[in-house]
Amino acid sequence: MSRFGIGFGRRKLSRRTVLRGAGVALALPWLEAFARRARGSEAGPPLRALFVMNNLGVLPGPFFPKETGRGYALSPLLEPLAALRDDVTVISGLSHPGVRGGHSTENCFLTGARGPTRSGFRNTVSLDQFAADAIGAQTRFPSINLGVNVDKANRSLAWTRDGALIPAEDKPSRVYERLFVAGSPEQVDARRRHLAARGSILDAVVDEARSLGRAVGPADRQRLDRFTTSLREVEERLHAEGAWEDRPRPVPSEPAPVDVADRTLPFKGYESMLAIARLALETDSTRLVTLLVDAFATPPFRLDEGAGLSVDDYHNLSHHGQDANRVAQLFEADLRQMTLLAGFLGALAERREGETRLLDRTIVLFGSNMGDSNSHDNTNLPILVAGGGFRHGGHLAFKADDNAPLSNLFVSILRRLGIEADAFASSTGTLAGLDG
Amino acid sequence: MQTSSGILPPPRRTGLWNAWAPALATSVATIVLVALVAAVVTSASKAAAEDRLAPLLPVITAACGTCHAGPEPAGGLSTEGLFRQGDSAASADLADRAVRDQLVRMHDRVAAGEMPPAPESLADDARRELVAALGSVVDAADRADIRAQGRVGLRRLNRHELEQSLRTLLELPDLDVADLLPEDRLRDGFPKSAEGLDLSRPQLEGTLDALDAALAAAIASGVQAPERKTFRAISTQLFGGTAYGEPEARYFAKGALPIEAPAVDDADVECAIFRSAYWPYHGYPAGFVATSPGRYRVRFRARAVCQQADRSLLPAPQPVPMTFRARAPSGPDVSGDVRAVGGLIDVTPDDAEYETTVVLRAGQTIEWSLLGLAVPLARNVDGGPPTYRFPPLPPGGHRGIALRSLEIVGPLPPGDGAWPPRSHQILFGDLPIQADAASALPVEVIPADPQDDSARLLRAFAERAFGREIHDDDVAPAERVVGAALAEGASFTAAMLAGYRVLLAGPEFLFVADPVGRVGGGEGDGGRDGRALAARLSLFLWNDRPDATLATAAREGRLADPAALAAETDRLIDDPRFERFVTMFTDHWLDLRHLRRDEPDARFFPEYRFDDYLLESLLAETRASVRALFRDDLPILALVDSDTLQVNDRLAEHYSLPPVRGSGVRPVPRPAGSPRGGLLTQGAILKVTANGTSTSPVKRGAWVMTRLLGEPPPPPPEKVPAVEPDIRGATSVRDLLARHTADATCAACHRRFDPVGFALEVFDVCGGERATYRGIALPGEAAVDVVTGIDRAGHDYAYRVGAAIDPRGSLADGTPFDDIRGLKHLLARRPRQLARNLVGLLTAYATGGPLRFSDRRHVEAILDAAEPEGFRVRALVRRFVVSPIFTGAPDPEASP
Repeated sequence: MSRFGIGFGRRKLSRRTVLRGAGVALALPWLEAFARRARGSEAGPPLRALFVMNNLGVLPGPFFPKETGRGYALSPLLEPLAALRDDVTVISGLSHPGVRGGHSTENCFLTGARGPTRSGFRNTVSLDQFAADAIGAQTRFPSINLGVNVDKANRSLAWTRDGALIPAEDKPSRVYERLFVAGSPEQVDARRRHLAARGSILDAVVDEARSLGRAVGPADRQRLDRFTTSLREVEERLHAEGAWEDRPRPVPSEPAPVDVADRTLPFKGYESMLAIARLALETDSTRLVTLLVDAFATPPFRLDEGAGLSVDDYHNLSHHGQDANRVAQLFEADLRQMTLLAGFLGALAERREGETRLLDRTIVLFGSNMGDSNSHDNTNLPILVAGGGFRHGGHLAFKADDNAPLSNLFVSILRRLGIEADAFASSTGTLAGLDG
Repeated sequence: MQTSSGILPPPRRTGLWNAWAPALATSVATIVLVALVAAVVTSASKAAAEDRLAPLLPVITAACGTCHAGPEPAGGLSTEGLFRQGDSAASADLADRAVRDQLVRMHDRVAAGEMPPAPESLADDARRELVAALGSVVDAADRADIRAQGRVGLRRLNRHELEQSLRTLLELPDLDVADLLPEDRLRDGFPKSAEGLDLSRPQLEGTLDALDAALAAAIASGVQAPERKTFRAISTQLFGGTAYGEPEARYFAKGALPIEAPAVDDADVECAIFRSAYWPYHGYPAGFVATSPGRYRVRFRARAVCQQADRSLLPAPQPVPMTFRARAPSGPDVSGDVRAVGGLIDVTPDDAEYETTVVLRAGQTIEWSLLGLAVPLARNVDGGPPTYRFPPLPPGGHRGIALRSLEIVGPLPPGDGAWPPRSHQILFGDLPIQADAASALPVEVIPADPQDDSARLLRAFAERAFGREIHDDDVAPAERVVGAALAEGASFTAAMLAGYRVLLAGPEFLFVADPVGRVGGGEGDGGRDGRALAARLSLFLWNDRPDATLATAAREGRLADPAALAAETDRLIDDPRFERFVTMFTDHWLDLRHLRRDEPDARFFPEYRFDDYLLESLLAETRASVRALFRDDLPILALVDSDTLQVNDRLAEHYSLPPVRGSGVRPVPRPAGSPRGGLLTQGAILKVTANGTSTSPVKRGAWVMTRLLGEPPPPPPEKVPAVEPDIRGATSVRDLLARHTADATCAACHRRFDPVGFALEVFDVCGGERATYRGIALPGEAAVDVVTGIDRAGHDYAYRVGAAIDPRGSLADGTPFDDIRGLKHLLARRPRQLARNLVGLLTAYATGGPLRFSDRRHVEAILDAAEPEGFRVRALVRRFVVSPIFTGAPDPEASP
């Protein structure tokens, strides 16, 4: 919440200090709340989202289907998704307007901020953080940002409102620990102290506003009332955050996925990260996960342990220059990526939550900032959307020479998440063809 | 009036707004009396309103009732709904603003003869009578509302005002916190509206984050000032890695001839760069990175050169403009922020040393950004490996600069060089500091006596933050928080910061009050109104809290004197901080914040590809024009036309003017025959009113009528699609819009603004002059109409020369004009309307609320006084500031 948490002193604070003030109705974990709802009510399990991005994308030729609409023939790279084709929509003809500059566009994938190489550029809020502002308080973690082989200082999918990078987690074991193992007493205390530091000033500010409110006219008093109401809302959020510290952690269904320290095995790391993302989503620890696959920072790599190394690092490989061997290696890598995603989607489809499949309550977006890495093209981005209750099964094709804004898809996703957003970044509306 | 004696607050002295409460409380009887009188006045004015409207009700029903009645009244206006049919008289709920607004619209449209649509259905006498009656009724009701509610009431600072207030308060000129706050909503065109500036939870969370960040920046970063380091490099050591675009993009030269692999210590070698900063590029020195945030002094030696075909260097005939960019040293791919720093520098053809100061964050470096130069194209021929195409050699050669050496020193100590810095002293005075490894803070302050010191520091800080004398009550909540924190075991420093946050997060710092014209009205006011007026003036012209001079004038009651108030206005306008007004006002009034919204479409306008320098120059031009309008007290007609143009080297080229040297925008006389002069013909205006691909006379015309003349067209009818431009360029927009004149329904409105846009069609999406449209060139098309080439970014281009442009038109009253010059002549006949619109804009911007019906008399009075002097703008501002609209001076008429 704050980039500058001034902690109070060194002594431990009592819990009462943190939780004093008005009693706050806390969000219950989803299952409890659901059980209390009347049967047949419209409210279902919550919607979640996972945003996956590979910053070198995929080979556009073998990825995009030739036909459009529902009856398209699966392209070579979409073959692994054959069993799931009714749960997936492949979209062509999307890009972020004004977001050009080769690899410099990667930090704009979820933000849509224009002109990343221009003087005066500052990134804007990313889709996940925008959504977290609305729904993040309902779970223990407002959002989780993951990365494979990621250059944490320079690349991220998640950006704050003031354009600051939120570093990705690159060790699944650490994420697992944060999700499912309670923090040390010192950590819990530090967190509480930060919340208390902010909480303590709110009462005093409300006092200031109240005393002022007694001396002004009715219109001004109304405005001050709104001010104090908002202060109370800030406080409620703090309480809600603090309360999570006292609630037991969920019990995961699986042990921690392995940490893959070997950077030459990006797909093994990829698989671990998808596993931890699934655990986070299915335990409702968070409803927003990003996963940046930093292919750019990946050295010459192997598809599996013991397999041969690629002829070049991932980035140079992507500039294949039509060299047959390089194209073939890239194709294998792309195919592996699609296979992993298919496995992940399949696992979500098997899990049930109430009456529905977890997949139907989880929006999965896969894409890239590169339409064609070979030529540094930032248009015609490869985009897949799965699950989340959208109307799937087709190839939605927008104009190749006059792309539709990718942010329109983001607005559709936000709406689907129950967030009343009319616009995001360069959107001009929602994306036609996904709803209905 | 809803004040009732029963719920009067007990006397308290809590601050800015209610310092006059004791005066009230001393005489509760007076209050009761006032309330009673007010009640009588209110009911009396209501009766008067009914008296004036009642006899006209049959007239209204007859003239308007045909359309404006029933379940679906025309335009949503129902006379039945508006005027309740009472037993004896018609009554409208005049306390309801929506009702008043409808009556105002009725008044205006009937007065203008637009309603009823058939003029003969309302006789002239009846029309005059109806207009007069509506006017006086609404006027009285509006004034009663102001008396009861105030004009706009408490207004939150917007994010730029808050950032600036924190910068001034803490003496942190480089503080950067505005982006922590959500973007402010616009109302009445500006992010300055009391009603538009909301107080949502995210807003407050952002505010708290911003306050935390400001306090974090204020406290000393260590016991000692960060160590000042010096980085030096000669040309051979300057850059590591490739320049992307070799061999032309960058190479070494000695004696003006290119050399390969020079000796590393050869100080006679120059490193010459010939390209703009655009991906892929890294123009930063190898081995330098800012280890701590702050200001760094940069010196370098360079000269402007031209690269010849054999890569020898000739001195450039013109200076080459450049700036530095602060960014992370992340290679050719940019990661995170990129900021232009150190200002514009014109590198001249003579070898010279340049010096500037740049503000860097930790981990950032600087890179050279040469403006307006070539951009090599990264491409993959036949899908092969990436190569670069440098644009072809222009006449005279590729422009660039040859570098000799670079020195970076920093971080420089902030402010006057004292340590701890001023910002720290503002919080903690001269208490000693120490480092504490166990602390989350960079330093811990050691109090002599925590109780005494905290009380003293909090008071001093509150006095500084609130700009007034501080009473015990004012700091009590903050003191409680500090006391509680200390009792909980917090360090003195952490506890004090919590106390400061309480003061800054409170309403007195985050809000400004409405002056209500009690300036100099005696001691009972406690100086409240003077402070409110000073704050309004300062936020208007500086986006900031009042400085000491203005605060003193307010405290001494001098702002009650119109001459003194006008003098302060002049002082603020003359100050460099007035630039903040110029930026924010033009960003919204003229949409300059949208200058980069649409990329010029390179299919049609290859000459603008990646031309950031042009956009920067356009921005500078329009800001300079508006600045001159206010500072130089130009007549209002300078908005429409002017003999003086504000240009630099790039704009002189863009506007086909005689060449000027250098990047600085300066006034030049308009040559004979140039269509330029005035806002209408400035590229920035022509760009924000286009969409990057095509121009629309409809949009441009409506923009001009709305923004310059304050006569917005009614909203477009539903179900009529926007006209799609013909990208082949074969059909002119005029032909596509033929229906706007042929169809009477369309023409009723479009004749008012389309013609203005037609005159502007001779300017393209960036304001370049043109005689014909351009269209897409299809492959295999006859080459006769097709223009081809390679642009300055190395891209092939081909566009088709399309239909010729016809700039003729006639105004709504039928007066014809031939071109943009003719149109400007016609617009110049309306100085009073231009000035009236400006006063309306200033009202919304400066007071936080729109012009009200009852302000109209004040506006006309300002205009009457300004007319003999030709509506000079600075004088207009002075008159506006001393008017009741700005000062909130009470209505001279006690009752209607």
